[in-house]
Amino acid sequence: MKNLLAAFTGKKVGRVFLAPTVVILLLLTIFPFLFSISLTFGRVSLTGGLGIHFAGIRNWIRLFQDDRFGNAMRNTLFMAIVTVTVQYLLGLGLAMLLNNEKIKGRGIFRVLFLLPMMLSPIAVGYMWRMMFGTLNGPINGILIRLGFAPVEWITNTRIAIYSVILTDIWQWTPFMFLILFAGLQTIPKGLIEAAQADGASSWQQFRHVIFPLLAPATVAAVLLRLLEAFKIIDIIYILTGGGPGMKTESMTLFGYSKGLGTFDLAYGSTIAFSLFITVMVVSIILLLGLREVQEIRLE
Amino acid sequence: MFKKGFFRLLVVAAVILTVTGLSGEVFAQRFKGVTIRVFTQTPPYIAKPVMIHKADWEKETGGKVELITAPFAELYTKMYSSFALKAKAYDIVIYCSGWLGDFASNNFLLSLDDFIKKDTRIDWTDVLTVYRERVAAWGPTVFGIPLDGDSHMCYYRKDAIENTEYQKRFAEKYGYSLTPPRTWEQYRDIAEFFHGWDWDGDGRIEYGAVEFMRKGGQSSWLFFSRAAAYVSIPGQHGLFFNPDTMDALVDSPGHVKALKDWIEILKFGYPGMIGFDSGEVRTIYHLGETCLGIDWGDIGVLSDTGPESKVRGKVGYTILPGATSVWDYRKAKWIGFPIENAAPYLAFGGWVGSVDVNSPNKEAAYDFLSYLSSPDISYIDVTTPETGFNPYRKSHFAKLDRWYKFGFVNPAAYLGAIESTIAHPNVQVDLRIPGTAEYMEALETEITKALAGEKTAEKAMADVAKEWNRITEKLGKDKQKKYFRESLGMPVW
Repeated sequence: MKNLLAAFTGKKVGRVFLAPTVVILLLLTIFPFLFSISLTFGRVSLTGGLGIHFAGIRNWIRLFQDDRFGNAMRNTLFMAIVTVTVQYLLGLGLAMLLNNEKIKGRGIFRVLFLLPMMLSPIAVGYMWRMMFGTLNGPINGILIRLGFAPVEWITNTRIAIYSVILTDIWQWTPFMFLILFAGLQTIPKGLIEAAQADGASSWQQFRHVIFPLLAPATVAAVLLRLLEAFKIIDIIYILTGGGPGMKTESMTLFGYSKGLGTFDLAYGSTIAFSLFITVMVVSIILLLGLREVQEIRLE
Repeated sequence: MFKKGFFRLLVVAAVILTVTGLSGEVFAQRFKGVTIRVFTQTPPYIAKPVMIHKADWEKETGGKVELITAPFAELYTKMYSSFALKAKAYDIVIYCSGWLGDFASNNFLLSLDDFIKKDTRIDWTDVLTVYRERVAAWGPTVFGIPLDGDSHMCYYRKDAIENTEYQKRFAEKYGYSLTPPRTWEQYRDIAEFFHGWDWDGDGRIEYGAVEFMRKGGQSSWLFFSRAAAYVSIPGQHGLFFNPDTMDALVDSPGHVKALKDWIEILKFGYPGMIGFDSGEVRTIYHLGETCLGIDWGDIGVLSDTGPESKVRGKVGYTILPGATSVWDYRKAKWIGFPIENAAPYLAFGGWVGSVDVNSPNKEAAYDFLSYLSSPDISYIDVTTPETGFNPYRKSHFAKLDRWYKFGFVNPAAYLGAIESTIAHPNVQVDLRIPGTAEYMEALETEITKALAGEKTAEKAMADVAKEWNRITEKLGKDKQKKYFRESLGMPVW
């Protein structure tokens, strides 16, 4: 009996019970991941079934020689940094505002602020494409009535990227707001009251009490948004298609058009992995930086 | 005796009635229990005819039609993966005929020759020759059933171009008469003349032209519509590749000239048209915002039948403009043409339906395609709003009654322009070889940079040629040459 019980509680049995989960996990995540890595060193032929031929580092050489890669990487970095920074500042501002109990109707505002986030990015893309219409869009309609010249929001090579950024900010600032607002709610009121009793100004309360205590929420919000911002495709696909020229093409759109638009799966995988490496590096740098901020806070 | 005879007669009558009744029933239910999956573009355009007619076909045959759709940008990918991986996800695919070569050369499609021979409903010879023998076929074998006739044509506002006051002013400014454009230079001049002022007296400023230029918005077809006249000497194939060497020809001075023309038309175009796809072009044109436009037959349909159209009866139609100087790639020099060289382009070539070679329901799938393409059914489709199907049968051009009912003010002029395009001796068929999607993606990437001012036309086209040659090498130059020559109906060495 004892032996039987031991058999059911031993490490071996535990492994047996874990095995299906591990196998499924391997099949669904690790295998596709490894397969994609192998594709970056291959040449894929879909004719007559899936044929993969070893091609060495040819795809990687091609990637670094491709002007479009450099352009897409620059666009992606620029859009990700600007959107996340602005979203953070706006989200923090809104969270601070609605955290103030003196403001009436906070519940309604909270719901209203969250609405853009609930829409599909494709719908948001179409909505803003209509809003940005050069002669028939409402934004230019207002500008024209005010006596200004219409702006080519999504077709001017200098402006289009900012229109994409604006759209992304509109949609995803609520996400920042939501996490930062939740973070603010966890800060003990006693700490702020103590700071007030010590004569701390509003700025000093924010700088020395609220902001450091908000660091965990900041880390989570910024990191999650940054990861998403690097992968942006849907809004751009609808709004500008990556144009005019290649002025708004992101890494994901570039990878999509090569990998699934023309079935160059090996090159598409190489593009995807270059983005993966970039995101990993940026995330590690960010986490290290934010860890330092947290350590300062703890001191 | 009478009783016996009567009884025999009764038995014979009963047998005849039973057999005929049964056979009718059997015929009517010949695909009972069979479900065919039809894959095409998201409705309304292209999927609508399937939606309209499936119930009647189901009633007639007992079969079922399951319609599966996806946005245009995803069609090729989904079809190709289903074929290549033998997933049998779809029995019928309705797709851009330009992909037929890609699919047929990889043995993805069912040969339809035997089906067509036995088919009494399809009236195959009623289908215009270019669609029957070139668009729907690969080599001598038919792999597709044409469902749509597609070619680009030029639209102009009759109330502008036929206005005597404007004709006088135009002649003074440009030194020749204002008529529908016969060359791309004239097209440019007309666009410039009618750009930026209220020439139709509606209190709003109008613009010269509207064209679709957005990457992924079908712009590669418009580029070739413009380039064809500059590089297609009758009897030569100067539009895509040199059929002898398979070297890309897209960096020729003729192609560069076409791109330069296109960049210049931006100055006289509807603001923001660099980001337009074909749908936006149609909307703008039928709202009366521009004088000129290039499109498939859809502007014509929308202008006369669209409920919001402001140009009903005011639109004229003509084949694509030509060129008086044409680049001869064999002699590497410009050749002068006393009368312009027109080279209308069967951009896209129309939608065709094909059957997956691995489909378990080949007979039913062919039967449904045959039903859709049959003269009476297809006549309904080409004269119904939002089907996206344009005429491709002789009978479509011959019967005008439904065109009038459709809302056309002058269907004969509209159909005449389409027929002149399709039947033109120098008509150019779209590229139809493996890798077409990759070639076109490379082209669109570079021309969109040139249109946005990121590159010169020369540099952009040189880069396209470089990329096309790389793709050709990757796919196998000899194989590609063989396919290209086959697609042109040329002997293969």
